[in-house]
Amino acid sequence: MSLYIFYISNFLLLLCLTASLMQSSKIINNKIFTRPGVMVLASVQLISILLSFLILIYLFLISDFNFDLVYFNSHSEKPLIYKFSGVWGNHEGSMLLWILILVLFNFLFALSKRISERFKDITVAVQSIMIFGFVAFLFFLSNPFALNQNNFFDGIGLNPILQDPLLAIHPPVLYIGYVGFSLVFSLAIAGLITKEVDQQWASIVKPWVFSAWAFLTAGIALGSFWAYYELGWGGYWFWDPVENASLMPWIAATALIHCVLILQKRNVMQSWTIILAILTFSLSLVGTFLVRSGILNSVHTFASDPGRGLFILLFIFFILVFSFSLFAYNSEKINKTSSMGLISRGTGIQVNNWLLITILTIVFLGTMYPLATDLLLNKSLTVGPRYYSTTIAPIIILFLFFMFISPRLGWTDTKLYKIIIQLRYLIITSLTITLIISLYFELFNLTEILIIFFSLLLIISSMTASINFNKQNILVRTNLGQNLAHAGFGILMMAVVCNAVYSEERIYNAKVGDNLQLQKYVFSFDKIEQVEKSNYNSLKAYFLMKKDGKLIDTFTPEIRFYSNPPTITSEASILHKFFSDIYLVMNVPQDQQSISVRMHIKPFMTILWLGTLMIIIGGIISASIRLGRFDEK
Amino acid sequence: MTNLVKSRLIKFLLSLIIVLIAVLIIIFNLRDNIIYFYGPTELLKNSDKQGQIMRLGGLVSVDSVQNETDSIFYFSITDGDNEIEVKYEGILPNLFAEDKGVVVEGVYMNDGRFIANKVLAKHDENYMPPEVIETLKKSGKWQGE
Repeated sequence: MSLYIFYISNFLLLLCLTASLMQSSKIINNKIFTRPGVMVLASVQLISILLSFLILIYLFLISDFNFDLVYFNSHSEKPLIYKFSGVWGNHEGSMLLWILILVLFNFLFALSKRISERFKDITVAVQSIMIFGFVAFLFFLSNPFALNQNNFFDGIGLNPILQDPLLAIHPPVLYIGYVGFSLVFSLAIAGLITKEVDQQWASIVKPWVFSAWAFLTAGIALGSFWAYYELGWGGYWFWDPVENASLMPWIAATALIHCVLILQKRNVMQSWTIILAILTFSLSLVGTFLVRSGILNSVHTFASDPGRGLFILLFIFFILVFSFSLFAYNSEKINKTSSMGLISRGTGIQVNNWLLITILTIVFLGTMYPLATDLLLNKSLTVGPRYYSTTIAPIIILFLFFMFISPRLGWTDTKLYKIIIQLRYLIITSLTITLIISLYFELFNLTEILIIFFSLLLIISSMTASINFNKQNILVRTNLGQNLAHAGFGILMMAVVCNAVYSEERIYNAKVGDNLQLQKYVFSFDKIEQVEKSNYNSLKAYFLMKKDGKLIDTFTPEIRFYSNPPTITSEASILHKFFSDIYLVMNVPQDQQSISVRMHIKPFMTILWLGTLMIIIGGIISASIRLGRFDEK
Repeated sequence: MTNLVKSRLIKFLLSLIIVLIAVLIIIFNLRDNIIYFYGPTELLKNSDKQGQIMRLGGLVSVDSVQNETDSIFYFSITDGDNEIEVKYEGILPNLFAEDKGVVVEGVYMNDGRFIANKVLAKHDENYMPPEVIETLKKSGKWQGE
């Protein structure tokens, strides 16, 4: 039985390889390979990969340990959902998922109408070259359907830290983001080849780039949320290289979506948009390379086979060389000269583009520097999180200012003082609130005050944008997606600053019966229990949280002992309130009598996630409004 | 020089200066925030590193863990050849144990003691931080592959 599955699945991979090769040939305008058509081949690509993915899921569900991948990453006693998510909790499976999304985007794009044949052919062909590359990589270097000769009775199991419902959806969502940019890249290449990077090109690209961006944002947010409650360190962002790897394409993509909008409206910045599209996809690949190659050491590292890292590295190199030579050759022909006013919305967006690139550079240097010294000087070091916060914070102030002012400006030259007079009430309101906040919390750090002030300006300004200014010709139509996302970003920044400033932490060693104090709350250590579950045993502590003698909530932090593979994890117990989270984690160091409890008050966490959610929803709305009412004027 | 060339040249030089300043600021900030990793032997050789924030890694020496109060711990980190005494105030991770790999972050004091403010968490029992493996390889005490 296993042998048949082995043959069928490998046949499917080869089928996809052949179809992709035929599809790729359409990049040259030829008369030979007109049949089978784009749609037929795209369907073959999709169906073959979809079937092999389903087969892999089936193998995990029935725990067929004749397959290496299932043996190394699953266990018969694992709950069903983790057998399922275990499919992409490893290198080969996650690569297959990556390819599935790649062919899915390819298929969906092939479906789209009102696009010239030639342009569609080239886009699909470029996409198919990538499909070919990745399927070949999967087939030869990381085949998920490799059989083993032994009859294993049971598998090794999935890292317990990955056994979490959120992590079942985090990789697919993140991958839709990453891979979505592959289509944007293909569209950019097609634009370069046909020399048609214009307003129509921008409207074709827009829904794809926005949805990829929204998914990437959601993927990063899910990962961050998971780290917050699962790792038990009380933080949500650690400037870990793995996190940075996903942040870098996000920053580039944020610049890109704004350029696509300018291009669609004003038909300017063609070259820069193309460069950003190439950059975004390259950074997505770099992200995959960093995370999967084993260079970085983390939960994300599945396999450290140098051949695999080398392949992705070569692939990135090939893409960069190919696309930039094409760009150098054709860029003169895609640029149209047109003008924008000096003080205009376009300039504001351009400035913020540069600021984003600066932030990108900061993150890139901080992430790559330790890798470089390790490889070249054999010296191991880490870049402290302070590097990022102190370098990026001043840029964020400028960034927020331009985010606030740009949508208020017209596309042509606008008088700045007129705008400021118009916005005087808004500015006064924000100033007052900032003053109240900083006096109330005794906050006197200029950078933090400025970030809060401009965030407030941005939030209020974006939220009122739909109500005001109808008399003026500056903003005739509102754009819900844009306003929602911008307000969300303001909320996010404000929450980040407040959270960093007002977080409080207490560490206690506790025995049953102890009363522990955290601000105005008292925690009574009630009892500790042993709990047995199918895949782990745990120690569960009960803390009763009281305020003024009244019981408010019960906290149950846990320590879990997994046996397949043997691992200990701490499960935090969190009470989410609107203005602050209360967060309890416990540890039992070996050879210790009492347990250690770490308690945090984390202000503005709910608001922080709310801001992120607004950004995601804003992105989805912008993606679904096809004609992009950035501004009707 | 025509006016066009002139204005282009000015624009170019101006942006070059801005970029240079930005890069300099970034690099200086980066240098200020670098945390080096040392093994015990390496650290003893570099006594000029006292007072800096750094990471120290190795094995927790057997029978070295003591606690002064509930949350102040003393232990030694060894690479087999040399060891350094560490003082740590806080919560020890679940997987902290004698004869297991550990990485701490803190300051190497001039009395030869290491004041740690972080004991870095690990993910599973068999996991050994790669820096610690390197350290043990250097001192010839590594027994793995």
